Amino acid sequence: MKKKIGVYICHCGGNISDYVDVEKVRGAAENEEGVFIAKTTMFACADSNQKEMVDDIKDNELDAVVVASCSPKLHEATFQAVTQRAGLNKYNYYHANIREQVSWAHSNDKVGATEKAIQIVKAGIAKVRLSEAIEPLEIQTQQAVLVVGAGVAGMKAAISLAKVGVQVYIIEREHFVGGRISQWDVLCSNDETGKELVTRLFTDISSAKNITLFTGTELVDCAGSKGNFTVKVKITPRYVSDHCDRNELQKAIEVCPVVVPDSFNFNITNRKAIYHNFPSEYPHKPVVDIANCTRCGECEKVCKQIDFSQKEETLELKVGSIVVASGFDPYTPHDGEFGYKISDDVITLPQFKRLVDICDKELVWKNKPVKTVSFIYCVGSRQVDGDNKYCSRYCCTTTIYSAIKAGEKFKGLDFFHFTRGIRTYGKEELLYYQASKDGQIFLQSYEDEPPSVEVKNGKTTVRINDILSLKKEVEVESDLVVLVIGMVPRAESTIGEILKTPRGRDNFFNEIHMKLRPVETVIDGITISGCCQGPKNVVESINSAQSAAIKAYSFVSSETLLVEPIVATVNPELCSWCDACTESCSFDAIQQQEIGDKRVAEINPTICKGCGMCLPVCPTNAIQLKTYGDEEVTRMISVLANEL
Amino acid sequence: MATVEKSSYDALIVGGGIAGIESAINIANNGFKVLLVEKDLTVGGKMIMLSKVFPTLDCGACITTPKISEVARHPNVTILTNTEVKSIDKQDVLYFKVTILQKPRYVDESNCTGCQLCEEACPVVVPDQYQYNMVGRKVAYIPFTIASPRVANIDIDNCILCGACEKVCPTQCIDFSQQEIEHHIVVKTVVIATGFNLFDPVKIPRYGYGSALNVITSMQMERLLAPTRPYNHVIRPSDGKTPDKIAYVLCTGSRDHTVGNPICSQICCMYSIKQAQLLMGALPMADVTIYYINIRSFGKGFEEFYEQAKGMGVNFVKGKIGMITEKENGNLALRYEDINKGTVVEADHDLVVLSVGVIANQEPIGFFPQGDWKNDKFNFSFQKDLLFSSSLSSIEGVFLAGSTTGPMDIPDSILSAGAASMEATRYLRQSTISV
Repeated sequence: MKKKIGVYICHCGGNISDYVDVEKVRGAAENEEGVFIAKTTMFACADSNQKEMVDDIKDNELDAVVVASCSPKLHEATFQAVTQRAGLNKYNYYHANIREQVSWAHSNDKVGATEKAIQIVKAGIAKVRLSEAIEPLEIQTQQAVLVVGAGVAGMKAAISLAKVGVQVYIIEREHFVGGRISQWDVLCSNDETGKELVTRLFTDISSAKNITLFTGTELVDCAGSKGNFTVKVKITPRYVSDHCDRNELQKAIEVCPVVVPDSFNFNITNRKAIYHNFPSEYPHKPVVDIANCTRCGECEKVCKQIDFSQKEETLELKVGSIVVASGFDPYTPHDGEFGYKISDDVITLPQFKRLVDICDKELVWKNKPVKTVSFIYCVGSRQVDGDNKYCSRYCCTTTIYSAIKAGEKFKGLDFFHFTRGIRTYGKEELLYYQASKDGQIFLQSYEDEPPSVEVKNGKTTVRINDILSLKKEVEVESDLVVLVIGMVPRAESTIGEILKTPRGRDNFFNEIHMKLRPVETVIDGITISGCCQGPKNVVESINSAQSAAIKAYSFVSSETLLVEPIVATVNPELCSWCDACTESCSFDAIQQQEIGDKRVAEINPTICKGCGMCLPVCPTNAIQLKTYGDEEVTRMISVLANEL
Repeated sequence: MATVEKSSYDALIVGGGIAGIESAINIANNGFKVLLVEKDLTVGGKMIMLSKVFPTLDCGACITTPKISEVARHPNVTILTNTEVKSIDKQDVLYFKVTILQKPRYVDESNCTGCQLCEEACPVVVPDQYQYNMVGRKVAYIPFTIASPRVANIDIDNCILCGACEKVCPTQCIDFSQQEIEHHIVVKTVVIATGFNLFDPVKIPRYGYGSALNVITSMQMERLLAPTRPYNHVIRPSDGKTPDKIAYVLCTGSRDHTVGNPICSQICCMYSIKQAQLLMGALPMADVTIYYINIRSFGKGFEEFYEQAKGMGVNFVKGKIGMITEKENGNLALRYEDINKGTVVEADHDLVVLSVGVIANQEPIGFFPQGDWKNDKFNFSFQKDLLFSSSLSSIEGVFLAGSTTGPMDIPDSILSAGAASMEATRYLRQSTISV
């Protein structure tokens, strides 16, 4: 039983003390059994206060500490570190949340808020009175990292880790690397093309001895935890052998009778069932699209490298950390949204980019020369009725840049931009300025009155009530209407389910804290980077990839890692192996073991997250959670229920 | 004459704002020795001055102070505040010779307890730069309560040498004989994290800043709302009245060719929306109007934050303010073009906040005597390989973190610091391997 407890009540610079009488809370805490000192502080987390706490613990030989401040998500680790610096085991610390759970929630009721804060602090004191020193678990680290996705973010993360000496496995679901950027031509704002950027990244990947690239490969399973993951990946064959004779393969492509829409060009062109259709796609080796292949055997006749005997493989990899860089999907407009699929002349921005890249001397769409191009912005972003409330960030700048570049390549084009207010943030503002100066026309509407598209006399017309000219109705007959589509989270993504990484309100993967831990997820050891976390441009994606890489490096750079010992434990004497606990565990941490002739449950402490799901289902009460034992929790509840 | 001290480190970080702090922690965590140099009296940069930060409304101090605490007690990090970089000179492939000047505080940092008795005793009051000159401070002073290091400093330019502080100091740590210390340092890599400057609205005389008392900058409003605020209330400067018709003028000094800053500052829309939300809480009766050209809420959760402000009743008016005129009662008349009516109208407000933009801090170019440092055309630090690796500067071994490369919000600064520290760690690892 602890006898010298220190209690600190934080003002949080008014965030708490504006609504909670912190002095009254302090007074209440002071009179609790076992409390030796009770203080208030303006900012408990400030360095000066941390120093004072260390001195208090040392000078008074405190045996437990409670800080009542913000959410433990924000600062529990901060104050655990304070107790450790003072020589106190950090599990003798309790973090009472009187900000998110009290002052912010009850800002209209100061008296009630203060009473609730007192209860929460007293419950914390009741818990630490029974606290015990426990030591973190030391585990052996797998000094390798798995990168999921070989777009620009994934490739950059892999290269960064390899350069500091880490073994990297990078898997890509497609048969070619480069992700979305390989489909883009010139990138803003230094005129490097997507092809060039992907080429440089791929060159670095192939020249690094400690990177293994798997294409056509998906993540199918993941077990373990930080420092020690076992992942299973499924490799789909290319049906083309490693020794590659380009001429023969080219012939094989020529003789293939199957023609399907080419997804690389967003279906504006066609390809064969065996293809290596674009020079920026690496590795430079064709692949047989087995789903569309008719097995006619024509290609085998002209090319020895075709090998239909190749089989799907599953591989197991051991890694210490995982960097997720699974990217985004371009928004798909529904049929009829701004004339999409109703008029042939309505296409999306990625299709427009591919078209500009493919066309040579003249911009031609469906065999008709294009003169007037209209862009409709915020398609699938900033939706009033739909689910995508967010701004997709890259599109304003990319659209204007694409228009400028198209205008340079093909003379005599007229551009009309139907916008919701241009967001060319930062230095890219100058592109907006330049486009306006070049005579490109910008029109604008508010969200409640979007532009409309209709087909009249065979011509596709965009209409808007332009707020920049007193809501005058403007109609533009367009040869091409380009829908500026936003980014959406990957529709087909089992990755999140396999890795159990949570998603935010916008359905992108969620970081722990946008500023404190921007690339980490609640699953320790798994980081997120690039557009799977939210819309980003290339620079932002690569910055987040390198941030994820340096974080991953910190997980695998040493041979051992310390992990949280707050885990569930089984008392084998009480356990009767009913199997209820294994079903309740989301992390597959519980297995059967035999002690003598008795079958009992065993919990792997390195996999257990201490979530507590197994405790209530155990009929014999054989499972206890460290630091949250029945006695501790019962006492806390009693205090909160005012029984003590 | 300055005394000279010599030492060596693996990495030098120039600038102790959030980007510099984040870079220092990342590099030090990999076992490298880091020197962090800050020219101000405290680390924390602009971020530690902020109230709450968008779009999560965490208090700025709650995010900054733990990072400061982590860097300040990191065994691999040495911090020198009140210290300026004189020169960073690349010697050969592996080393930089660095000269830095540590200015005297006239207080023995190791003995000062931060008791503030000297501050009470000091008879001289001057404008407090940490409160953006809205209130006074003493000449013997601690910058603010959560400063790090939290030690006193004597502002010698304004000191009358009365000796009152010396008499009351319980640890006799005031020392007027302190001299500048010139440090000659050898490092293997450098991270530039010198941040940005705020646009000075005096350059737009028609907005009345400096003459009309109730025209303030967004940073001054930030201080009025912060936990370490000068008054315990939001008041307007001319008469201390609680304002109830507040206007925000966006793009003050941004997207404006006439003041030489044509680019968008990227943060002003969002911090203005945030302040508007905080004002709705602090002054429930007040009307808040934001005059804008375009609202640029482009980051994760930003658009939702903008919608939330609209829902709370913040008034958004599309129109660029042409002129601000002070009236007799201290109120301001704002002339602008009403885009819906197509006419020029005048609106009356009792407090105007100028949402000032981000301007390049051009100090880094002075650090490199060999003249091989490059800025971009907006005077931000030049990024040699923007798309492939945005933290590479024009000099090999020197990396760029945060808003030294252009306007950036806090999350982007932290991610850019992650990139810079990854590259610096890579560079250090490679030099270890090659040596």
